[in-house]
Amino acid sequence: MPQSINQISLSHLLPQVFRGMEAAERIRQSDVWLEADVTLSRGCRLCVQAESGSGKSSLLSFIYGNRADYDGQICFDGQDIRRLDTAAWCEIRRRHLALLPQEMRLFPELTVMQNLRLKNQLTHHKTEAEMGALLDRLGIADKANEPVARLSIGQQQRVAIVRAICQPFDFILLDEPVSHLDRKNNLIVAEIIAEEANRTGAGIVTTSVGHGLLLDGAQTICL
Amino acid sequence: MQYDKTVWQLLRKNISRGQMLGYALANVVGLSVVLIGLLFYGDSQNDNATEDRYFSQDYVVLSKKVEGIGFTAQTFTDDEIAQLEHQPWAKKVGRFTASQFAAKGSVIIGGKELSTYLFVESVPDEFFDIKPRDWHFRPGDRRVPVVLSKDYLTLYNYGFAIPQGLPQLSEEIIGSLPLTLRLTGEDMKEEYLEATIVGFSSRLGTIAVPQSFMEWANAHYAKTEPQGTSRLIVETNPLASSDMSDYLKTHNIESSADTSDAGNIARFLGLVSGVVGAGGLTICLLALFILVLSLFLLLQKSRHTLRGLMLLGYHPREIGRYYALIVVATNIITLILALSAALLCRPFWDQGLVDIGLGQGAVWPMFTFAFVYMALATAFDLFIIRRRLDEIWKKG
Repeated sequence: MPQSINQISLSHLLPQVFRGMEAAERIRQSDVWLEADVTLSRGCRLCVQAESGSGKSSLLSFIYGNRADYDGQICFDGQDIRRLDTAAWCEIRRRHLALLPQEMRLFPELTVMQNLRLKNQLTHHKTEAEMGALLDRLGIADKANEPVARLSIGQQQRVAIVRAICQPFDFILLDEPVSHLDRKNNLIVAEIIAEEANRTGAGIVTTSVGHGLLLDGAQTICL
Repeated sequence: MQYDKTVWQLLRKNISRGQMLGYALANVVGLSVVLIGLLFYGDSQNDNATEDRYFSQDYVVLSKKVEGIGFTAQTFTDDEIAQLEHQPWAKKVGRFTASQFAAKGSVIIGGKELSTYLFVESVPDEFFDIKPRDWHFRPGDRRVPVVLSKDYLTLYNYGFAIPQGLPQLSEEIIGSLPLTLRLTGEDMKEEYLEATIVGFSSRLGTIAVPQSFMEWANAHYAKTEPQGTSRLIVETNPLASSDMSDYLKTHNIESSADTSDAGNIARFLGLVSGVVGAGGLTICLLALFILVLSLFLLLQKSRHTLRGLMLLGYHPREIGRYYALIVVATNIITLILALSAALLCRPFWDQGLVDIGLGQGAVWPMFTFAFVYMALATAFDLFIIRRRLDEIWKKG
């Protein structure tokens, strides 16, 4: 595995579920689907905007190696990601790509801190104090030892954001990260994510259906 | 990577204790039955007697059928003997050598002299069921060792001694009695030898002398030409006993089995062990089937959790280690319980088998089977876990 991922390039990418719809208006107008060359560079700030059902979550899942039901090609620094083996993907998910899934994928039976530790013990990226401080900034420090199942959706979303940054990354993929947050928390999340990314020059790719992450200088593309 | 208690907490929630207990119980029962079968088989096939065995290998004594009144000896030709040696049921064939001279034995018991004409025979030493001391004769020796059929002693003690007012004799006393053997040759030349009864045989229904004595005596005192072999002793292969009956019937040969019933008992016990073992093995395989189904169900129920861990960067192998730990621990406990059960059951049959000259077989075949079976079962379980986790990684 390379020391870092500097470029993610997409070529003629199309979810298999869209097969046969290549001529449809929404596919032809997309900035990503079936484009010959879409390159995401390290340090980018990108907001993928689209209505529901247009494949935003699918796009992030494809890049994260979670799904492979697509046509076309995705490369990390020129290497086709279909050729990566399990060990390489595990390393990428620990060191190079961070993901916040739309459905968050927290473990409801575990407490907030247990959920964070589950990721952090793979990466040893944050100290307990740093994790506590992040929860504090997001206003949920008092929930640290609560089972996630007892938290509201908005609180769970903030826990999932903290967990996503309990690792080093070259790109962070955030799938509708603030869909359940108010403007104040949206700004805090944007600030935290930007701090983490700026520290290492990482890229940020976020999706939204309109209520997006308030990230300074983000380029918006349509899917 | 160490086993992490948070991961353990996550994976444990879908483990059904009932299913694992069901698997473990079924496996303990099945494996115990197999091991008991194996141990019993080993014990029942182990000839534990050192001398004068009651249960021994199968030997039969063969002779030609006499019909009506026969004046010519019914003997086996060399060809017939060679043919017999090639039968699948005949492991070893030995010839009885009959005496061709008159022999008269006399002994003084309680002041009374008892004398009788005797027939003596010899068979190769390897067919003896006992190994008497001083079983040798060299030309020139004045002493001949003799082995008597145990039946003769019984007949004397219970059928002759008491009605005649003679003392009953133990084997030891008989051995110390001075017995005189008078040999009479063709030219009426007589020779007196001292005979010592050195043992009693359950297998040989005859008065046996060493082969070397018989060769020497026949050469010196034969009244007639050598008459060929009229009786044969055959060590048989128990697995082909039905072939033997057919062969003997076809060739008009009579058999007098000595202890073949004993062989039958050993065979029967072996068969029982086999049936018990097969039943146990079936239970084991069913138990293994239960475990595989339980593992499938467990991994299916935990699919969402497993996918969640894999998304965080956990390798399927790391996750598999937790399930492997459960399977290995369960199988080790099962193994220990089944081995203990088999060893604890052994005393139930041990003394009974020892009493009939069997028992006390080696335990290593049982241990070897137990370890090999458990290693294979565990390897199979681990393979299932690994394959299923790989599928979850690929297909979600």
